[in-house]
Amino acid sequence: MEQSPPRKVALMAHCLLNQNAKVCEGARYRGVVNPVVETLRARGYLLLQLPCPELAFAGARRWWAVYEQYDTPAYRAHCRRLAQAIAPLIERHLRAGDEVILIGLDGSPSTGVRFTSSRPDWGGRPNRPEDDWEIVPRRGVWIEELESELARRGLPPVPATGWALDMGRFDEAGSRRDLEQFLDGRERDTAPRHENPAPPRGENPAPPRGENPAPPHGEDPAAP
Amino acid sequence: MGDARGWRMALLPDTLVNPPRPLRPPPAALPDVLGLLETCGYGVLQLPPAGEHRLLLAVIADQIAEYAHHGYAVLAIGVRGEPGGGGLHWRRLATLLRRRGAALPPRHLIRPDVDAGREGQRLAALLASYDLPAAEQRRWRV
Repeated sequence: MEQSPPRKVALMAHCLLNQNAKVCEGARYRGVVNPVVETLRARGYLLLQLPCPELAFAGARRWWAVYEQYDTPAYRAHCRRLAQAIAPLIERHLRAGDEVILIGLDGSPSTGVRFTSSRPDWGGRPNRPEDDWEIVPRRGVWIEELESELARRGLPPVPATGWALDMGRFDEAGSRRDLEQFLDGRERDTAPRHENPAPPRGENPAPPRGENPAPPHGEDPAAP
Repeated sequence: MGDARGWRMALLPDTLVNPPRPLRPPPAALPDVLGLLETCGYGVLQLPPAGEHRLLLAVIADQIAEYAHHGYAVLAIGVRGEPGGGGLHWRRLATLLRRRGAALPPRHLIRPDVDAGREGQRLAALLASYDLPAAEQRRWRV
């Protein structure tokens, strides 16, 4: 049987294909985030949409929240269920030697890759007078749980970056440059790519993650 | 801060999110559905390729039900002749949605055996006109 050639696959934060999943006032596009989709398709990536953990857990009319509010056993268990649901598709690609990347949503308490939003004292009546959360260099809860599930299956870490939609000040042009730089870097780094597919189940690849959480296009990660 | 969401979305089979390689670009036998959805302001709920995806379909059904119960217009777009009722895992979704108190969304099937341009126009016309009744929109979309 002829073996299909390796492919390039982008795992997409749910809301990059569906802005209706965003928390109220968080949608910057009507539906599809076209700059992301266009950039990935132009470079030959297949798209694989991840589930939205917040929508299914807290609903379409949920309040805004920060990392600490979602860092609970119940929410992490929910994220693990979602990770177990999508992981078989990701595993299939990795074991076939496909190049898999992850595009998250920087600033998101759940889907942040380089940055998440933090404010340990948020809680109670949702009447914060202004956007007083902080952006900190850390994964969101959902991405942490998804990566844990992939590691549990003996899969290598997936190179990841984030579209900076939830960073407080959204700069589409800068975000696009960021994404293109990330993808250009992948092209350079993976010149002889596809030669090392994920090992069969049971073998431990265990390479370090080794990503640089540099702030996107010059933003100060500590700024709200 | 404003909110730009379009309140409309489409369930799409994997084959319409990632058209088979010989069809791209642009697809010869299928319209660029993702592009049309973007132009018309729809979001996308991507379904997995053919196969057994019980847990993932349950997760997707949770999301569809949540949207359907809160004022969002959901449409399903499949490809005629694809397994699973157009590549949409239709029977499985019907069961899952029924358990969640939600109805199957309206389904539109694209014909891969006719001119892609005409199929694209047919779909674009549907996308432009489809939405919830005005009273439902007023109830939720404030």
